[in-house]
Amino acid sequence: MIHIIVFLTLVLSLAAARLYMILPSDTKRRSSSHPKRSTCNLAVFLGSGGHTTEALALVSAIDPKKYHHRQYIVSEGDHLSAQKAKALESSIAERLQASYGTQSYSILTIPRARRVHQSLLTTPASSIVSLFTCVYHVTIKPNLCFQESHSGFADVLILNGPGTCFILCVAVYINKFLGLPAPVVIYVESFARITSLSLSGKLLRPLVDRFVVQWPQLLSDKGRGECVGWLV
Amino acid sequence: MLAFVTVGSTQFDSLIQSVLSEPVLLSLRRRGYMNLILQCGNSQLDLARCIETGNTERVTKNEVDIEYWKFKPSLQEEFEKADLVISHAGSGTILDVLRLGKAVIVVPNPTLLDRHQEELAKALSDRGYLKAATISELPKAIAEIEPSSLQLFPPQDKSRFAKILDEEMGF
Repeated sequence: MIHIIVFLTLVLSLAAARLYMILPSDTKRRSSSHPKRSTCNLAVFLGSGGHTTEALALVSAIDPKKYHHRQYIVSEGDHLSAQKAKALESSIAERLQASYGTQSYSILTIPRARRVHQSLLTTPASSIVSLFTCVYHVTIKPNLCFQESHSGFADVLILNGPGTCFILCVAVYINKFLGLPAPVVIYVESFARITSLSLSGKLLRPLVDRFVVQWPQLLSDKGRGECVGWLV
Repeated sequence: MLAFVTVGSTQFDSLIQSVLSEPVLLSLRRRGYMNLILQCGNSQLDLARCIETGNTERVTKNEVDIEYWKFKPSLQEEFEKADLVISHAGSGTILDVLRLGKAVIVVPNPTLLDRHQEELAKALSDRGYLKAATISELPKAIAEIEPSSLQLFPPQDKSRFAKILDEEMGF
């Protein structure tokens, strides 16, 4: 019995030490860990409604020649977000047609952690299904299945809320924990949040590489994060 | 002139009821809004039995011609046609409408537990970009709104996010 306790304590402290190591810290600059590159792959979660509007506004701001593959992650049944992503991509293609060759994007559908009106009783089960799907796409498929196209999940993941985006971040942490390639995670708090962070904002604030808010009052607690004004 | 009312994907029965009430319709008519389009979303209303998803119904009340339906894949066309938008305080709708330079009255849903929509409505109305109103203030808000005196909402400054991302990714 005592051996098991000692063993478990050891495992748990090693895991805690590993977690501490991989948590983002504002004192060690990360820029060195990302060497100069010519292009990279971007993934963005479209959380439906206003979250989708904001996330797509952020993607519209980037240079598609640098972020040459864009993966849109949508929740199951959210056809509207998928449609809007396609519309943005066709406008990008139109804009670049003359100067640039093929553009690439993909849409990934993941199960919802919790549907609206879903009973709280079944929420843990559906969250686990959602987490496994995210882990499959973020950890297992890019690292274990050999693909001819591009390796890895994405170099950067952009999150804007709500709930399900936390599960994506957990999947990214499994990669970090195991020392596998993991995307840089940037969280942009919703434009609608002026004086208090959203639940996903509160959860993700210590976990993401960049935590960006759009109203300065949200940083009045002197906590982690930055504000350069409205981004959407 | 055309007024467009939208609740997005939410259920906002009290806004729909209020818009169909005599004080609001009279206020609209007085300002010259003889046409009204109502996007009901998931709201329940007395007229709802006749709107199956995808159908459009029409009715005339207090001399205002009213068209109503539940959803369309994109509201962009309605926003563009409208002279006045009356909306729930969803941030996506607010951004879309303000970027088109349209006059908008925003009515936060009082039944939501979270007050952040109200805060957004107030913050943007304090800056003069839109008019915020409660359900009971709606007739007065319609009577008072002066589209020409609203501040022009700034376009998206794309360089801000591009800079954060490029910096992070080492470009």
